[in-house]
Amino acid sequence: MDHVDHVLIVDDDREIRELVSGYLQKNGLRTSVAADGRQMRSFLDANAVDLIVLDVMMPGDDGLVLCRELRSGRHKAIPILMLTARTDEMDRILGLEMGADDYLAKPFAARELLARIKAVLRRTRMLPPNLQISEAGQLLTFGDWRLDTVARHLLDKEGTAIALSGAEYRLLRVFIDHPQRVLNRDQLLSLTQGRDAELFDRSIDLLVSRLRQRLGDDAREPIYIKTVRSEGYVFSVPVEISEPRQ
Amino acid sequence: MRAATSILSGLMWPSTLRSRIFLILLIGLAFAYGLSFSVLYMERYMSAKAVMLGTLEHDVATSIAVLDRLAPDQRVDLVDRLGRGNYSFVLGPGLPGVPDTSSKGVEILGKIEEAVGHRFPIRIERIPGEVSRLQAHLTLSDGSPLTIDVTPKGVMPIAAWLPYVFAVQMALLVLCAWFAVRQAIRPLGELAAAADALDPNNKDGPALSETGPSEVAHAARAFNAMRERIAHYLEERVQILAAISHDLQTPITRMRLRADMAEDSPEKDKLVHDLGEIQRLVQDGIAYARSAHGSGEKNARIDLASFIDSISYDYQDIGKAVTVVGLVQGAVFTKPHALRRILSNFIDNALKFAGAAEISVGRGAADDIVITVMDRGPGIPDDMLEAAMQPFFRLEQSRNRETGGTGLGLAIAQQLTAKIGGSLRLYNRTGGGLAAEVTIR
Repeated sequence: MDHVDHVLIVDDDREIRELVSGYLQKNGLRTSVAADGRQMRSFLDANAVDLIVLDVMMPGDDGLVLCRELRSGRHKAIPILMLTARTDEMDRILGLEMGADDYLAKPFAARELLARIKAVLRRTRMLPPNLQISEAGQLLTFGDWRLDTVARHLLDKEGTAIALSGAEYRLLRVFIDHPQRVLNRDQLLSLTQGRDAELFDRSIDLLVSRLRQRLGDDAREPIYIKTVRSEGYVFSVPVEISEPRQ
Repeated sequence: MRAATSILSGLMWPSTLRSRIFLILLIGLAFAYGLSFSVLYMERYMSAKAVMLGTLEHDVATSIAVLDRLAPDQRVDLVDRLGRGNYSFVLGPGLPGVPDTSSKGVEILGKIEEAVGHRFPIRIERIPGEVSRLQAHLTLSDGSPLTIDVTPKGVMPIAAWLPYVFAVQMALLVLCAWFAVRQAIRPLGELAAAADALDPNNKDGPALSETGPSEVAHAARAFNAMRERIAHYLEERVQILAAISHDLQTPITRMRLRADMAEDSPEKDKLVHDLGEIQRLVQDGIAYARSAHGSGEKNARIDLASFIDSISYDYQDIGKAVTVVGLVQGAVFTKPHALRRILSNFIDNALKFAGAAEISVGRGAADDIVITVMDRGPGIPDDMLEAAMQPFFRLEQSRNRETGGTGLGLAIAQQLTAKIGGSLRLYNRTGGGLAAEVTIR
């Protein structure tokens, strides 16, 4: 029997809960709903869930609080997709910092929510990270570089920020989450596909060369991202998790 | 002093309040002081002269009478003792001189003539020489000549040290006037500086000091209160916008989901399109309010080349024609999210009206960084470039409803540019198209 993914929708608005639930069911997912943190906790105690869709703006414990709670408890392996009413960059960052796997700003298209849910599920299922970045907001150190996972940019030795495009950041995170492991192009492509999955059609090779350029890596003698002939790429530098900044 | 000379020449009235008040005080004080000094001087002069002439009158009359009575041989013994500080008697015709007609001579002559009771004809002469010297010649009753040698010492009714006192007092007056003006003007300058630096978003910024004289303290209190009120209004504005947008978000989300659940139809597409417009307006409204309010973002040192590249790659990755045509190496110290938003707004505009955007980075005159986003779209008429940065501005002929947009993009960009301490400029390119330029230091 095929496994049907079970999604828990946590939102204080009844109609939105039901509409989302209905749409996801129509598209072949199993759904449950919770109106607040209390209901969510009791549901998780009794049921297995594959993914949680969590609203940020809720009375009582808001989504950020619940997200942090989930990440530090026994349900930390469940992927979280955050629904945020805010559009500000800082709020998005805050959500990711609390450990959400992805976010979607309200109002959203149902189709996009479905695509995101599937992408997150695919990502976590396909290749569970070696390096569990449970609490983001940390600095990941490798070689001469540090990666700020909140601001999503690299920091060089002098502390100058080297900006990364969205795709570059996602690719680097895939490498960093799976250090010293050969990743083939299909794996990299599906793990790197993020927000604009359907529009993203850059080849992985091009993206790798861009990333090497950012890291100051010579393509003929790369230090960080090495090419494995006919297989793919490997991130060959050990990664350390630094203490969160202040 | 420069101000004073310009006043004297009548060419210029000094522009600063400080110089004006200083000048008025100085001229007024100097004039009043000079006047009382001259009155004093005059009065003292008159009385000193009266005393001197009075003495001359009595003593000279007595002396002549005595000499007249004495035998000629006895006069010699006495003549030296009759002399005084400013006159002496000489037996004999005296020195040759020229007739004197000065008022002083006439006055002295008159006094002496009066004193001797017009018994002896007197003739007064000035002796040429360096020192002012007069001789009165008369003939005693026995026919022998007598000369009164007068050396009028300038009547100096004031002590020699008095001018120095005057100078010191003048200096004191100047100093006091300057100090008083400074006292009065400085709080005004501080108030102006505080108003210039007024940033209601920065609540932790230094408040104007409420110390000093009561009027100044009052003005400072009023200013600080005004500052707080402005901050309060701004906060309220953002809160209202945030509340409206939050309350709108839920119904819009519901409508959007309901539309998504509905069967495909032209009506559904139109509904989704309208919802998109409402949503964009709400988002830009919040962004605009926040851009005025400041996000509290910290400055960071960012590598310029990778920053610009990452923006263009993000657009390229979703299939937009955004290219980088010029780059400079180096790092800038700025607020990265704000700068990214500014450039994104420029690029979104360019994509909307021209379908493609080019980013160019260069160094300006003062080694500042100039980032330009250019397109080959219709541009904006030159007389409307300023207005284009006003919120909700739309060029009606080109920006109809079809192209969407809230008219807030450039207004947001301008507010954010001010926040990062830069400047923003729009201009039409030669050969058509618009260039939007942000300069950061």
